[in-house]
Parts: sequence; structure tokens; C-alpha cells
Amino acid sequence: MSIKKTLKNLNALATLAVAAALVAPASAAAKTELVLWTSYRGAERTALEKVVQAYNAANADVRVNVLAVPHDAFADKITAAVPRGKGPDLFIYAQDRLGGWIEAGNTIEPLDFFLDDETTGRFLPTTLDAMTYQGTIYGLPLNYKVLTLIYNKAIIQEPPKTSQELVAIAKKHTDVAAGRYGLVYWYSDFYVHSGLMNAFGGGVFDGDRNPTLDRAANVRSMDLLLKWINDDKILPAEPSTALITALFNGGKAAMIFNGPWFLGEISDDVDFGLALLPKIDEAGGAPMKPWATIEGIYVSATSQHKDAAFDFIDYLTAAPQARTLALEGRQTPANRQAYDDPAVKKDPVLAAFSRQFENAVPMPNLPEMSMFWSPATTAMNLIVKGSASPSAALKEAQEKVLRDVQRLRGSGG
Amino acid sequence: MTRLSPRARWLAAGLALALAAALAAEHRLLERAREAHARLAAQRTAVVGVRALAEVVSRAGGQGDEVRRAVERFAAAQGELAPIRVVDFNARSLEASTAPADQGEQAAPRRLVREEKDLYDQAQRLRAAVETNRQEGVSRKDEVEIERTAGGGFRIAAPVEPAGEVTGAVIAERPPPAAPPAAGWGGALLALLAAVGLFAALAWLLGDRPAALAAAAVVLLAAAALGYAAVSLGGLAADRMAMEEAVAGRLASTARLAESVLGDASFDAAAWDADVYRRGLGFVAADGTIDAAAVTADLGRTRTRLWRAAAGVTAAALALLLFVGLGGAGRLAVTVVRHRVAYAYVLPAIVAMVVLVFFPFAYGIALSFTESTLYNESQGLWEKWIGVDNYADILSDVAVVKQAEQGSTYDYENFYWTLGFTVVWTVVNVAFGVTLGLFLALLLNRQGLALRPVYRVLLILPWAVPNYITALVWKGMFHQQFGVVNQIVQMLGLAPVAWFEHPFTSFLAIWATNGWLSFPFMMVISLGALQSIPGDLYEAAEVDGASRWQQFRSITLPSLKPALVPAVIISVIWTFNMFNIPYLTSGGEPAGATEILITGAYKIAFQKYQYGYAAAYATIIFLILLAYGTWQNRVTRATEAVG
Repeated sequence: MSIKKTLKNLNALATLAVAAALVAPASAAAKTELVLWTSYRGAERTALEKVVQAYNAANADVRVNVLAVPHDAFADKITAAVPRGKGPDLFIYAQDRLGGWIEAGNTIEPLDFFLDDETTGRFLPTTLDAMTYQGTIYGLPLNYKVLTLIYNKAIIQEPPKTSQELVAIAKKHTDVAAGRYGLVYWYSDFYVHSGLMNAFGGGVFDGDRNPTLDRAANVRSMDLLLKWINDDKILPAEPSTALITALFNGGKAAMIFNGPWFLGEISDDVDFGLALLPKIDEAGGAPMKPWATIEGIYVSATSQHKDAAFDFIDYLTAAPQARTLALEGRQTPANRQAYDDPAVKKDPVLAAFSRQFENAVPMPNLPEMSMFWSPATTAMNLIVKGSASPSAALKEAQEKVLRDVQRLRGSGG
Repeated sequence: MTRLSPRARWLAAGLALALAAALAAEHRLLERAREAHARLAAQRTAVVGVRALAEVVSRAGGQGDEVRRAVERFAAAQGELAPIRVVDFNARSLEASTAPADQGEQAAPRRLVREEKDLYDQAQRLRAAVETNRQEGVSRKDEVEIERTAGGGFRIAAPVEPAGEVTGAVIAERPPPAAPPAAGWGGALLALLAAVGLFAALAWLLGDRPAALAAAAVVLLAAAALGYAAVSLGGLAADRMAMEEAVAGRLASTARLAESVLGDASFDAAAWDADVYRRGLGFVAADGTIDAAAVTADLGRTRTRLWRAAAGVTAAALALLLFVGLGGAGRLAVTVVRHRVAYAYVLPAIVAMVVLVFFPFAYGIALSFTESTLYNESQGLWEKWIGVDNYADILSDVAVVKQAEQGSTYDYENFYWTLGFTVVWTVVNVAFGVTLGLFLALLLNRQGLALRPVYRVLLILPWAVPNYITALVWKGMFHQQFGVVNQIVQMLGLAPVAWFEHPFTSFLAIWATNGWLSFPFMMVISLGALQSIPGDLYEAAEVDGASRWQQFRSITLPSLKPALVPAVIISVIWTFNMFNIPYLTSGGEPAGATEILITGAYKIAFQKYQYGYAAAYATIIFLILLAYGTWQNRVTRATEAVG
């Protein structure tokens, strides 16, 4: 009996020892592990990893692991995984899905509590607006993308400052028979059109979050576009991204409106310059204000290490890191202190986009935004093909959007 | 009792069992209703206290010593609200707190610490809710948050609005209310015994008359179950009046308290008794009088709901009675016992099917009758019930072609456009897959073909690659600048094509992708069938002087039919529901023109966030496929009969 008992005790001891052995290495490395999801590739990814490595090296008790997730699947994975506690601690995405995730709940952690004036003061205000939903900041902005005027230096020496100059210069360089155009851009795309729309004070939501696709300013912006197409004849018919690339690289487009993603597509033979989008005389001299897409980093609402996660994004968005991401990752940083850096200041591309960004509006981050694209695209096609007047087409689209929005909001309670 | 026939015994057993189950369910129902009443009474009195305090705090400007004095007065007068905290998010401060931990060093006012982030976030959430509801003109976000705490109590948060702007919140906890005295089982037991006893007596009187006995059992069950429900629901009115009186009392005392703290009475105390959107319930006036008509009307609604539930329970019990009483249960038991091994084997599959297939299916159907969206996800399905509105909405919009002032345009988001596109997509893809697959199979089936295994493996390869990878690869190939397709187009001296910017080219792109994926399956099927055709048929045909085409038409095709027809049926359903290719390759571009039904439903659910509408869409897809399957079945059977 006593032998049995001893054996039993020994057994228990052995079990304890094994358990201790299993626990020991884990507790020795009691690091906070943070998982960061991103869809970055190429230079952006390399630059981000460099910054993360520096952070890991400097912080013995935290380890940030960067996990690449394909862009096509990114948003859906976040939607499915994070509310169930299976997702990352941190993730990087543009502002367009922000509202949907916040309304769904339990996905993105509000950050206001962590933020002080010093932190919020380091960002360009517009980028912070994009991260704000109903008055609460949910992410820290990393970078932005915005349309600007890109011109062929071999054709144009002095880019236009106003819409009248734009039309005059464009007319001079348009020869439809030879396939040459003074101005080429994807004007039938609603996102691209936002530059003109916002110049007239247009927009898609009023201050109370109601859809206002058919407001008078939007109609006026369409009228100006139609004048450029039909009266001034400076734009090619049926523009597509392929056509724009082909014309610009073939030296047959003097000016285009396009974003940073286009720069990689410009052929080496073309000497191009970047300039501000012109002021619109027809809108009382207001500048074109294209929609900007702002990428931010967010803390998951279900993360177990929110404090550590915030400390990391605080580090990631500080000036030195923003500089690395800008110069090595080729991003236009949301941190305004990064522009004080001589290397960033000297970079003509970053400088041009940051100037244009002063005249930019963050694309709305309301969940209702996803209901605009299809009706707005249909309306744009009708308008530029002349099948419907701007006011009729926009009215039709507005009704459609309104129906979807009302279906979403319901009667409520 | 010995004279009872087996049938009567089954009926008696069924009656006892079903009635016991029904009474137990009704008893539980009643108990839950009473618990809900008690909880609601506690919640309403607590909400009155918290909202009154929020109003007092708001008038004091949301911060300062006056706020702390008011909190002390409320804590003393309404002891069950503990702890009470007042948060100001602009100053990031804890303005007042009666929590034991917040004394001495930690006493308010002080800055919030990181552990108190949830208090701060809650106050901000209330501000956002108030602003959103105000802007949108609807009540969809909670302006008063009521959470159940772990122990069954409440945590209530109400916004502090000093000058029409929310600046903070009053957050208070209330312990769980005392449970109402448990309802006795006496009544239920009495009903059970009475019904079974009566049935036994009847059985003895009537003798072996199955129809009469069955009818008697049904009547007894219904009478006992509904009678019990009627008697026990009678107590509900008293409970409800007690609740209103408790709220009225609290409202009056709170109003006096607020008046003494504020020094005036310029507030609307009745508004404190409100729902989570701060809309007054209207049952109790500020002076404590109860609006009996409103209470009775509301009680009527509660009663109707409970009656419906009781009727449902009774109906289920009747089904159980008939199942047992008419011998179904007995036969089932015998079968289960006899084949217990077989049932044990299939049990995991049954459970898995119920959990993974039947439940989601039923839930999806139920969802399709509601107006569920991202915004009201947390409400129960019943509160969002709208009947067949979703279906009517989808099916009644037939304006595929919109007339504009000049010319016309297609509405790509219209259901019928998508349906038409899906049909075209399915027919073209299946026809293409069958033709190419059969053609390649015929080539591979030639006698003496060198390296045949190599060709076969190469041709099956597209099928072996996961289809989402194929979809993404082809999407890359159709990229207008870097894609290999446009490189070839340019080599031929043509202008590059923006594949996904026109419905037709976009369709060509996804058709090519899916064609690449679908021919190997048809090829394998055809190859297998070809190899099973006896060679002597062809020899005989040759002897008779038949041409190759005649051999193909009269021997090969008829022999392939038994293998090809099921393959085509399956292929049609696969293609109809082929989510990955359109979703990943074209993404529905341009403007949803190349969406098929299944990707359309997905987008409605996860990009437009209209879950109920999307569920109706999905149900319609199911019905279409069901109709197709039924029709196909009939046609196949017909061909089999002829063949």
C-alpha cells in the first residue's frame, strides 16, 4: 500500500516535472507576439519589414510578425476572422471599408483614448479625417494616394494653372485625325471624376450622411465635362486605362490626370512632369479636389495586446519610420514631419503628390459608399455617351442609391 | 385497466407523454415571462435613476464638484446603483465615482488610466450613437446602453449632454433583481392527472373504438394544455401592474430627489422611463399616474405573443401524441433497436447534416423574410420580419433596359439581367466544355498514339490546380498592361484591350478562364466511356461500309450518352454556381455586368450589407436549381426509358 502510494507520488512528481519543462521555455520567452496583416508586396513590403525588424530589435519583450495576405482576399478575411478573435492584432488597409467594419462592430478598436495632441499633430489633417468615423479615430494613417496632373515635358513646357489655360493648351495639342489629344483621362470613371465634382462643391453625402448624388454642383461638374468632350473636343472617346497608357507612352497625350500607381507604367522614353490639377474657372476658380485614398493601420478589437499594438503603430507612424517607408517603400507619407527630411523634400514625385494632397478630399468611409459605385458608373456612362442628360442620369442613380441606403438603415428599432 | 387494448394503451402513453412535455414547456414559458417581467422592472427603475442622474449631471455642466455632490446624493438615495461613475471624454477624466477602488489616491476627479479605456470608449460610443440617430433621422443605435453583467445584473450607460452635445456618460451598475417566487407545479400536475384519468375512464367506457379514442385523446390534450395556459396567463396582468407601480414610485421619488439636488423642477421626469433610443415608453406620467390604456394595450401584445407560443407548443404536443398514439413511435423504436448498429454508424453523419446543412439552410430561408442588415444584426429575426417583401422587390423589378432621353441602357444590377447572364454563362461554358472535352478525348483515344499518357496528364493538369489559383492566374494574364494576352494582341499589331471595362470582353475573359478549367473533366469522362465501347462494333461498321462520321453518330455518341448526360447535369449546376471564376477574375466588372447570381448575392450581403435581401436572392437561386434538377430528372428518366 505504501509502495503504491510512493509510486503514485513519484508519478505525480514526474508529471509536474514534465509540465514544468514544457512551461519553462515559454515563460523564459514571455514575449508579446503581435501579428500584423498586410497585402504589401515588393518595395513597400521590404521597407515595412525593415522598420518592423528595427522595432523588434529595440524591444526585447515584443515581437511583431508581418504576415502577407493577398489583397483580393484581405477585406473578407478581416470581416470573417477578427470578430471571432481569430484575426491579427494589427492590419493595414485603405479607409473605404472602415465604416462597414465599425458598424459591424467588434472589429476595429477606437484609438481616441490613446491619442494625445502630439500624436495626432504629426499627421496631415486630411489623412486623419479619413481614419475618423462619427467623430472617433479608429486608425493611424500611413500614406495616401491622390490623382494629379501628369504631363509630357516634350510637348508642354508650362503646365496649365486654370481650366481656361487647360482647354487652350489642350486644344493646341489635339489633332483627332492623327490620334493626338491634349488631355486624356478616365473621365467616365466616377472616382476619377471626383476631382471636378469636388471643385464645384459637389459630393455624395451631405453633412447628415444622406446621399446627395444628384445635387446641383454634381450636375454642373458633369456639364463642364460634357463641354470638354463635345465643344472643346480635347478628350478622346471611350477612354480606358489601356488607352490612356498607350496614348501617353506613345507621346500622343499631352496631359493626363492619374495617380502614383501610373508612374510605374510610364515608359522610359517619356520625360514626364507632375503638376497641380488646375483651378476651375467655371467653379469660381476653385481648385480640382480629387478623392484621396488613405491607407491606415488599425488595432483589432479582439486583440489580446491592444496596448502593445498601439505602441507599435505609434512607432510605425512616427517621422523616422515614415521617412523609410517613403524613400524605400515609395509611399507618400501621411506624417507631415517626414516632409521636413531633406531627402523627402528633394524627391520630386513625393513633393508633387503632397502638394496636390493639400487640395484633396478623403473618399468617404461610410459603409453606404459601396452602394454608389454601380449606379454612379452607370450614370457616368450614360452621360458621357450622351444618352442622358446629367441631371436625369444622376437623379436616376440617386434614387437607386437612396433605395439601397434605406434598405440598409431600415426603419431602425 | 387490463381490458385496455394495446392501441388504447399507446394512446394513453402518448397522451401522458405529450401533455407532460407540453405542460413543462408552458410552465417554462410562463416562468421566463415572469423573469423577464422582474428583469424589466429592475431595468426600468435603474434606467430612470441613471437617466435622471445624467440629466442632473448635464445641467451641472458635466464636470466639477456639483457633479460629485449629485452622484453622492443619488448613491445615498438609490443604494442599488453601485458603483456609479461619471466620465468626461473631452477632459479624459473620471469626474465622479462611488467605486470602492476609486477612493483616497484614486479618488475622482482624475485622469482616466489605460485600464479604464472601456469607460471612455463607451462614452464616445454614446456620443456617436446620439449624433448618428440625429443625422439620419432614425433610431438605430443605442443611446442608452444596457448590458447584462456576469452575475445577471445590469450595467447602464446614459449620455451626458450639457449643451446639446454629448461630452461624457453616467455609467452605473445594478445588482441582479430578486428572482420572482417560483411558480408551483401543482396546476400542471393537476391538469396532467385529470386528462390522463379522464382518458382512462373514457377508454374503459368506450371500449375498443380507435377513432373515438384518438379523438378523445386529441381533445383532452388540447383542452388541458390550452386550459393550463389560460389559467397561468391570468396572473400576468397583476405582475404587469406591479411593475408599473414600481416604476411610477421610482419615477416620483427620483423626481423629488432631482428637484432637491437641482433646486428646481424644470425637467420632464416621465421621459426618463424610456427605451434604449431614449424614446419615452409612455406608460407612467411624471406625477406617478399610470396610463392604464397604454399598459393594457401593451399587455395585450405580450399576451398575444405568449398565446401564440402556447398554441405552438400545443400543436407540437398534438403531433407527438399522434406519433406515439398511432404507433409510429413504437415502430420507430423497434426499427432503431433492430438496426442499432446501422443507426450508430450513420449517427455522426445525421448530426453533421443537421448542424452543417439543415440548420443553416432553414436559417437562410428564415433570414430571407426579414430586413436584416449590417445595422440591425443584433436584433432577433422576429423583430425584423417583413414577409415576402424581399422576394417581391427582387422579382417585380423587370426594367432591365432603362430608357434614357436618347437611347437606352442596361441596368446591370437588375435580377433579370444577372439571371440572363448566368444562363448564357452556363450554356456557353457547358457547351464549350463538352465539345472540347469530347474532341480531345477522341484524339487521345486513337490507337497507337505515341506518348498518350503524357498528353493525358498534361491535359488533366488544369483540373488538378485549385480553381481559385487558376482564376487569379488568368486575371493576371488579362491584365491590360502586363498580361500575356495583351502582349500577344500587341505582337499581332493590334491595340491592347481593356478586358474588364466592357461587358462583352469581360465575359470573354471569364469564359476563357472557366473553359480552361472545365474541359478536363469532360475529357476524362468521355475518355473513360470511349474506352468501354467494344472495338468490334466499329469493325462491323467498317465491314458494312459506314463512313467515319456515320460511325461517330451511330456508335460513339449513343455509347457515350449514359456517361455524358450525368456529367452534363453536374456540370450545369457547377457552372451555374461557379463562384470563384467570376468573383476573382472579373469581379463583376464593369459595374456588375458580369456578375452571376451567386456572386451577386454575395455582393449584396457583404458589400451592400443587406443580409435579408441577399438571403432572398440565394433562396431564389436555390428554387431555380431545384426546378432545373426536377426537370432534368424527368428528362433523363424519359431518355432512359426510350434507350
